[in-house]
Amino acid sequence: MAIAAPGQLNITESPSWGSRSVDCFEKLEQIGEGTYGQVYMAREILTGEIVALKKIRMDNEREGFPITAIREIKILKKLHHENVIKLKEIVTSPGPEKDEQGKPDGNKYKGGIYMVFEYMDHDLTGLADRPGMRFSVSQIKCYMRQLLTGLHYCHVNQVLHRDIKGSNLLIDNEGNLKLADFGLARSFSNDHNGNLTNRVITLWYRPPELLLGTTRYGPAVDMWSVGCIFAELLHGKPIFPGKDEPEQLNKIFELCGAPDEVNWPGVSKIPWYNNFKPTRPMKRRLREVFRLFDRHALELLERMLTLDPSQRISAKDALDAEYFWTDPLPCDPKSLPKYESSHEFQTKKKRQQQRQHEETAKRQKLQHQQQHTRLPPIQQSGQGHAQMRPGPNPPMHGNPPQVVAGPSHHYGKPRGPSAGPSRYPQSGNPSGGYNHPNRGQGGGNYGSGPYPPQGRGPPYGSSGMPGAGPRGGGSGYGSGAPNYSQGGPYGGSGTGRGSNMMGGNRNQQYGWQQ
Amino acid sequence: MLTISELNHHNRRPEPSGDESTTPRVLAILSHVLEKLVARNDQLVVGLTGHHPDGLSSGKAQLGKSLKAFHGVRAPSISIPKYLERIYKYTSCSPSCLVVGYVYIDRLVHRHPDSLVVSLNVHRLLVTSVMVACKMLDDVHYNNACYARVGGVTNAELNRLELELLFRLDFEVTVSSRVFETYCLLLEKEMTCNDADQKVERSILANSVDEVTEISVEDMQSSSPPQAMD
Repeated sequence: MAIAAPGQLNITESPSWGSRSVDCFEKLEQIGEGTYGQVYMAREILTGEIVALKKIRMDNEREGFPITAIREIKILKKLHHENVIKLKEIVTSPGPEKDEQGKPDGNKYKGGIYMVFEYMDHDLTGLADRPGMRFSVSQIKCYMRQLLTGLHYCHVNQVLHRDIKGSNLLIDNEGNLKLADFGLARSFSNDHNGNLTNRVITLWYRPPELLLGTTRYGPAVDMWSVGCIFAELLHGKPIFPGKDEPEQLNKIFELCGAPDEVNWPGVSKIPWYNNFKPTRPMKRRLREVFRLFDRHALELLERMLTLDPSQRISAKDALDAEYFWTDPLPCDPKSLPKYESSHEFQTKKKRQQQRQHEETAKRQKLQHQQQHTRLPPIQQSGQGHAQMRPGPNPPMHGNPPQVVAGPSHHYGKPRGPSAGPSRYPQSGNPSGGYNHPNRGQGGGNYGSGPYPPQGRGPPYGSSGMPGAGPRGGGSGYGSGAPNYSQGGPYGGSGTGRGSNMMGGNRNQQYGWQQ
Repeated sequence: MLTISELNHHNRRPEPSGDESTTPRVLAILSHVLEKLVARNDQLVVGLTGHHPDGLSSGKAQLGKSLKAFHGVRAPSISIPKYLERIYKYTSCSPSCLVVGYVYIDRLVHRHPDSLVVSLNVHRLLVTSVMVACKMLDDVHYNNACYARVGGVTNAELNRLELELLFRLDFEVTVSSRVFETYCLLLEKEMTCNDADQKVERSILANSVDEVTEISVEDMQSSSPPQAMD
C-alpha cells in the first residue's frame, strides 16, 4: 500500500488500517500505564509528528478483541471534529511467534495492536489538579464552549459519549479541548426506543435517570455530566462525590431536590423510582448553594442540572446561553497559558516517589490542604463573586494562571492511596482519555468491574448469568457465559473503570453540604 | 479445525420443545443464499483451476487469497443450514445478528475482490462474522470462547479470525438501519423469486414465523459471484 508522502493530501484513499507496523513510530517515552497496558508518546518516523500510541490489551483470550475497542474505533472513524480526539490509524506489531516450520505464523496481530491518536498534553482533571492551578473565568468559558461544541457534534451525529468527565477531556498546549475515550459511546439512532444499559458514566457524573434505572435515554445523559463538570470548575471540586448509587442519588436530591411527578412527569414509572425515592421532602437548593456564582453561570448550570432529562438543556441551546455571550467572553484557546507537559515517565515516577515520601511524613498536617487543592476560578475584577470557600490559596486577582511544572495527565497520577491530592478514587483505572479500550478488563473478565464494557447488563442487584439463553443453552455450552457482570454490578473492585470505590479519605464528604 | 464428532456431540443437546417453530426465517433464507453462492463459486474455482473445490488444491488458495485465514484444509461436512442453525441455537444470538453477519461477509467480498466465499471458508466466515455482529448488537452475548466451541474452531483461531475480519473490514462494522432494511428487503425478494425452488420445508418454516419483517436480508446482487478473480 502506497503511503502518502508527508504533506501530501491523501483524502480519498487512506491506507487500510492495520496495514502499517508500529515500527513506523519511534516510541519516545511511556506516558501512562495501567491495567489497560501502556500509552506511549511516539514520533512518526516519516513525518516527525508526535502522537500517542495506545496498546490494546489482548490477553483475555476468551473475550477476544475488546468490544470497547471495536466500538471506539468504529465511532471515532466517523467523527471528525476539532473538539473530538482524532484516531489517526491502527497499527500492528508482528509477533515473534513462528509456526512449526519456523516461518512467521502469519498472525501479524500477535505482537500487539495500537491505536494511534493525536498527541494531547493534558487532560482537564490533571490540569485542574496542578498545585496552585487557577482557571480564569474566560478560560472556563473557553473550555466549556469547546466541550459543548464537541458534544453537540457527537449528538448531531447520533453518538452518545456516555463517559463525560474531566479525565476524558484532553487539552493541548494550544488550549484546544477534545473529547476522548469513546469506549462506552454508542450510536443511538437505532435505539431510541430503549434498552440501553443504565450502567454507564462514571458515578459522580451519572444523571439521575440512569441511577433510577431507565434504559431509554438520549443525549441528555451527557449534558448532566457536563453540568457536573461545569459546577466542578466553578466550585473547585466535584459536587456529587457519591460512593455508591444510593448515596449518589441522595447527593443529587439534596442539591437538586427530590423528583416527583410535578418537576419530572413520568418519573414514577422509572424502574427503581420507588426504591430510591426520598422519604423526606427535599427542596431544590442549587441556587442557594451556589448563590455566589455569577448569574449567567448559575442560570446555565440550573438548566444542565435539571432532573427531568426532557427539560434538561441540550448542547446546542447551552452554546447559545447568555453565559457565553457576556463579559468576560470565552477567551481564544491560543491565548491560554501553555503549561509544561512532562511525560518523562521515569523521572515522574521518581519525583512522585519522592513526593510520596515527603507526604507520608506530613500527611496529617497536609490533609486539609490537599483536599482543597482544586480552587475556584480566578475572579475577574468587577465580577464580584466571592469565593465559595476560602481555600489555602486566596484568589489571585488579575494574575495569570500560575504555570507550574509537572505532568498533568490524569493517567500520570500516582496510584497509591497516599499519593497525594488525587481527586478520583484510584481503584478503577486511573488513566485519562487515551485509556479506553481496555478498561474494565484488567481482571481478565469483562464482568468483574462495575460496568460491563459491552455496556449492557442486568439491573442493580442482579448477579451472575442467566441460566440459559432464551433458546436453551444450559448444558454443554456453558463455558462461555454471556458477558454479564458476575459480581454485584456495583461491587466490582479494582478492575473496573468505575471510580466509585472509595479509597482512603480522599473522598470523604466535604463541600457544599457542610 | 472443525471436527464433526464434536459437532455431533453438541447436537445431542436436548432442545426446548417447540424450538423448531421459532426458528426464524432468516436462517433458511441465508442458508439458501449462501449455499447458492458457495456452489457457484466452487464451480468457478473448478472451472478456472481444474481442481475440485474440496481438494487440497493450491490453485484455489490463490483465488481466495485475501480470505486465506478463513480457509480450512477441507470443507467441513456440516451443511451451511445446519451450521447456521447451530450457531443460532447455541449462542442465542438475535436473528438480526445473522443478517448483519451476512452484511459483513458481503462487505468483505466487495472490499477485497480477490476473495471468494467457497466451501472451504464459508463456515469460518460465518461463525466469525456472526460473532462480531453479536458483539456489536446484542445486549448480552456469549464470549469468543463460546463461539469457538459452537463453531468447532479453537479459541485462539477464532480470535485470530476476528482480528482478520475486523481489519479486512477496516472496522466498518456499523450497519445503519437503512442498510439493514435494504438487505432485508433484498433477501425477502430472493425468497420470493425462489418460491419454485424445491426447498419446501424452508418455505413452510418461513411461513410459520412471525418475526419475519425484523429479520434480515440480503443483497442479491452483491451475493452474485464477486467480481471473480484476477
